[in-house]
Amino acid sequence: MDILLQVLANGLMLGGLFAIVSVGLTLIFGIVKVVNFAHGEFLMIGMYGTYLVTKALGLHPFVAVIVVVPVLFILGALTQRLLIQPLMASGDDHIQIFATVGLSTALINLALLVFGADIANTPPNGLRMPIEIGPVRVLLGQVVILAAAVVLVVGLHLFLSRTQTGRAIRAVAQNRAAAELMGINVRQIYALTFGIGAACVGVASVLIAPLYPTSPNSGTYFVLTAFVVVVLGGLGSIGGAFAGALLIGLIDSVAGFYIGSDMREVAVFGVFLLILILRPSGLFGARLQLAHVSP
Amino acid sequence: MKPAVAVTSVLAVLLGLAATAAQAEVKFGALYPFSGQLALLGEESARGLEIAVEEINAAGGVQGEKVVLVRGDAVDNNQAIGEARRLIALEKVSAIFGTYSSARSIAASQVAELSGIPYFELGAVADEVTGRGLKFLYRTNPTAEDMAKLAVEMIVNKVAAGLGKKPEDLKLGIIYEDSSYGTSVANHQKKFGAAAKLNVVSMQGYPAATVDMSSLVLDLKRRGVDIVLQTSYQNDSVLFLQQANEAGFKPGAIIGGGGGYSMQPTADAVGHKVIEGVLDTDFTQFLVNTQYTPGIDGFVETYKKKYNSGPRSGHSLNNYVGAKIILQELNKAQGFAPDTITKAMKAIDVTPGTTAVGYGFKFGTNNQNERAAMMGMQWQNGKLVTVYPDAAAVAPMQIGK
Repeated sequence: MDILLQVLANGLMLGGLFAIVSVGLTLIFGIVKVVNFAHGEFLMIGMYGTYLVTKALGLHPFVAVIVVVPVLFILGALTQRLLIQPLMASGDDHIQIFATVGLSTALINLALLVFGADIANTPPNGLRMPIEIGPVRVLLGQVVILAAAVVLVVGLHLFLSRTQTGRAIRAVAQNRAAAELMGINVRQIYALTFGIGAACVGVASVLIAPLYPTSPNSGTYFVLTAFVVVVLGGLGSIGGAFAGALLIGLIDSVAGFYIGSDMREVAVFGVFLLILILRPSGLFGARLQLAHVSP
Repeated sequence: MKPAVAVTSVLAVLLGLAATAAQAEVKFGALYPFSGQLALLGEESARGLEIAVEEINAAGGVQGEKVVLVRGDAVDNNQAIGEARRLIALEKVSAIFGTYSSARSIAASQVAELSGIPYFELGAVADEVTGRGLKFLYRTNPTAEDMAKLAVEMIVNKVAAGLGKKPEDLKLGIIYEDSSYGTSVANHQKKFGAAAKLNVVSMQGYPAATVDMSSLVLDLKRRGVDIVLQTSYQNDSVLFLQQANEAGFKPGAIIGGGGGYSMQPTADAVGHKVIEGVLDTDFTQFLVNTQYTPGIDGFVETYKKKYNSGPRSGHSLNNYVGAKIILQELNKAQGFAPDTITKAMKAIDVTPGTTAVGYGFKFGTNNQNERAAMMGMQWQNGKLVTVYPDAAAVAPMQIGK
């Protein structure tokens, strides 16, 4: 029984990790309708940023959020403005996908050039301290990640539903042409949304860096599962991504323990395929409104 | 001195000078990943080869000819093939040295084999490199099989006694990253373990790009595993050691296989306290008994002078010694025709304990150096010190504390 609880707790913590990485990805997809394959590399850049800031200032790694989040916001907004926006005119969505794949490869190799292939370690500053709750043992840093994921999801939901800008963002997602006719600056909204999505992964990177070693490939470790999570939850659904992340985390952990470590991915992707067959739009996804994407 | 004699000796000296000035050159390829993912250790490996060539040239070259290295960048498998073709067809190299990465080596050596150009592998460990029975491929370094053999040997000869148990009473857990590298080492560990009557209670693979190993750790803990054998890269080594520590799983011994376990950044990432006592099987490293590895100090000194920093891993050392042994043997041959080179290789016979890497050289079945061996290291006080075999050890193995 104790072991089962520990397995579930591990799964929940892993789910929190996947959730915080996926939130930004699903936001960008839901609004801008671009699958950002460079998402993992944004995470990697954020982790290096956290490492550098923590090393330079000698403060708690979380302080790096002041620098990393704005930097990633700008990076995201620039990616939209300089890379995605010009390609939107081409009328072929695949080109945007190729562009983000290219950006991903370029960023990995840039990091190799700047930081080398070796790992960088952000000092954990007590975040690796185990907390014992009954028979269960988890790390402080993991609990913080899960809590932050909840806050981020709720916060984004409130922002999108309660603020004027949030409503404008949703309007653009629903119908680009109509939103434009209502006087919404669509380009600006896109850049803003891409920026917010990247800033979300910036938050994730600050929380993850103290727990995991950073290397140019770090992003790729997290991002494959993030794509699964986003599709599972329903593309563009933020709450869905959160639920999907927890589900994947739990399956991963339970299967890893009871079936065997080599079968984890079989279990995760098996459930993934099953859900897609039964509910093609994902757990919480509405049917995607893509009619307006191509003029 | 008679004037005639004086004149002849002056002439002889002048002729000698002329000969040096117009010294003939022999080209060899240096095929390593110099850019991309594997660049760090690819470059490190190539440095060993460069130092060997420099020393050989300073001593008059090979057969009186100056050795010139032509670099080829094996950034991926396709590029490895392309660069091997370029080195052979355009640069007309007499042989190729390489490669650090097993996959690149397997790809590029195929090209060399078809062209009948000798290929000297100084650092790739996969079984398939020599397992394909190529005629022109020679490997000087120890293999995945040697790595597994050594781990089992260490358990039987040292670790079991340290834990106060008989080897057959110990519970072994074998975990490995599930690409061909980890899988082949793990299978050899299982094979040698069974031969030594060891009890393997859990054998599990996992993808190297994993972000969580907690369920694996729980499984090992539940089964009461005494010794964990892990074959891994850096990310998963760090992850396992951290998560085992945090889950309160403290097996009697952890034996890592190369890769992440030998690197200082791994120890720094995990924390010196956590990695204390962890064992490692790998190429010869630098904190080793220099009586068993004569010449290692000289190598480190030359390295520091040339590159302004100490060697970053044992790869340079292994490449250096392998290349030097081969070049010295070629010096005794006549010409660089492929058949002459392969004939010369058969004559190599170097006893263990006489080279800077410790192991000896003699090419056996499939042109694999049958005297190649790995060494056992242990993390003690934040440093990776050699503890096995006894002849090479600088500190006693600390087990069961």
